[in-house]
Amino acid sequence: MLNNTKRVSYCILAFNKRFMSVKRKYPINPDDAKTLPVFEYGVSKDSYRRVFVWGNLQTGALGVPYLKKNRNTLQRECLGAPKRLGFAEKFPVKTAACGFGFTAFAVDTDSGHKLYGTGLNTDSQIGRHEIRSGHPLEIIYFPQPIHLPLKNPKTKIKKISAGRAHLAVLTDEGLFLLGNNSYGQCGRKIIQDENYFMSNYINHVRHIDGQTIKDIECGQDHTLAITENGAVFSCGWGADGQTGLGTFNNVSVFSRVKGDIESEHIIKVASRSDFVLALNNKGEVFGWGNAEYDQIRNQRNEQQICHPTHLKHLGVGKVQDVGAGGSFCVVVNDKGEVFTWGFGILGAGPKVEQSFKPIKLAESLFGRNDFQPDSRVVKVVCGLSYAVAVTSLGDIYAWGRNLRSCLGLGSEKDQYFPFKVSLGGYVERVFCGYDHTVAICKPFI
Amino acid sequence: MRPLQLTFAIIKPHVVKQPLVLETIRDMILTSNFKVVKTRRHAFTLKEAELFYEEHRNKFFYNRLVTFMTSGPSDFYILARDDAIKEWRKLMGPTKVFKTQFEAPDSIRGQFGLSDTRNATHGSDSPESVRKEVGLFFPHFDIENWYQEEEPKFRANQLEFIREFFIHKVIEDARTVKKTE
Repeated sequence: MLNNTKRVSYCILAFNKRFMSVKRKYPINPDDAKTLPVFEYGVSKDSYRRVFVWGNLQTGALGVPYLKKNRNTLQRECLGAPKRLGFAEKFPVKTAACGFGFTAFAVDTDSGHKLYGTGLNTDSQIGRHEIRSGHPLEIIYFPQPIHLPLKNPKTKIKKISAGRAHLAVLTDEGLFLLGNNSYGQCGRKIIQDENYFMSNYINHVRHIDGQTIKDIECGQDHTLAITENGAVFSCGWGADGQTGLGTFNNVSVFSRVKGDIESEHIIKVASRSDFVLALNNKGEVFGWGNAEYDQIRNQRNEQQICHPTHLKHLGVGKVQDVGAGGSFCVVVNDKGEVFTWGFGILGAGPKVEQSFKPIKLAESLFGRNDFQPDSRVVKVVCGLSYAVAVTSLGDIYAWGRNLRSCLGLGSEKDQYFPFKVSLGGYVERVFCGYDHTVAICKPFI
Repeated sequence: MRPLQLTFAIIKPHVVKQPLVLETIRDMILTSNFKVVKTRRHAFTLKEAELFYEEHRNKFFYNRLVTFMTSGPSDFYILARDDAIKEWRKLMGPTKVFKTQFEAPDSIRGQFGLSDTRNATHGSDSPESVRKEVGLFFPHFDIENWYQEEEPKFRANQLEFIREFFIHKVIEDARTVKKTE
């Protein structure tokens, strides 16, 4: 033992001595340094994407394992800051959709399952999953495959969108709809007292009116589809006029939305709740649905508008992207300027406000400064009572009500002006639900 | 001592579909000292909904309220507490969810409401409407009889709570029911 200690102290002495007297026998040749090999970092595959999730953990919608073990132990109920999703490291996630308490992921493969779902499943909105027959699972905590009845295994998923309790999947073979159909939002006949929890039914809509479907969007309880020639079709709950069909009834078949957009070529529709914004190829904005919070004001002061209306009063220039939350709207024009109106935390100041006139949010709030003068907002996405803007540099800025930390800013307080969310990647797309958010990012290298 | 007051509560379809939210709301009811006299899960039929919301017939939100309430099963409770009607309405928060989420963020509607119609819960506004609403959904429940026979025991807290059925039972009755806790 004693011997050992001695030996160690000798070692330290020897060690010190060696470094105390550094004497180079040969001076460093700067030309030699150039011939030395340079360490190359591994470059990730082109198709590789990082997926970050944050918000309410309890519903299982984040796909992060969470178990309620004991009532007495303190459990984290939400993720306050973005967390990298392990599932996306194993599967090449292409796109995603956030519903109300559930998430679906589309995976880019030629064989096997292309669609995965996690979270609340009380209406079979992410397929039927059971551990023993006759007992489907109410909540799923890790992404599970959803079987789609595809004919060709090489079919690709183009887009997915999720509502309160239904999911729409747009593929090369047409549109697949699953989940709750109590208002006809799945585009099939409403069956009184249908038990959606036990159901395994997926509705397939190949064409609408003989045309291929180009884009889909789910509101809370209605579905909107855009066909290749820019026409909009809708089905589902119409009690607030959100189907835009001129009636307030439930519609269970995709029907053509007319009004002011009948002769327009629509390129995007946005709806997170019961209000819809549509954008045409000329950059003009149209709206319909629940307008109780000054999203649209018409002569008769109606609060439910079932005819699509051209929003001429905006005066925001050529609009590039639109987002519609529960009680407010956000648009971004081709110069990257963001405007909001409606009711709620609009992002312009330290209070909840209501405005019929669009309020411009300063560009400097979205990271335009002397160091990055080219930064501009390119996309906006709305959750139920919060909004997220994506900039050309791949940053995202969030503001609004911070319900169960859905903003991902690391705090639980409401955010009254846009604030940058720190993420490990260039954000390509963001998906907002009601109390959780998913971002798909390109890695830095 | 003042007798307990009864109120009639509905947990609306979108919450019944979310097991975790339903559990949280039930916990909130219990921690706020409400006693659960009766429980029932039932889907509104169109006729019931029209009768139930008769007073709103001419309002703009009548159609969406009726179509929403018939969209799936709801939970119906008769709750007892002193000043139950007012206290339950306080726990629920104001009707308009988009405003309530900023004005009363800790209320049931502030936390779990999804829109002005999908506002999670319903509560009676007066003793008369309690009588009318209880009569509609619990036709065999006799309020006068309950005040005479069970109310003193509810007030004295001679109760057993059965979690499985989410109901409080007077202890004498409870002996025959299998203990679950």
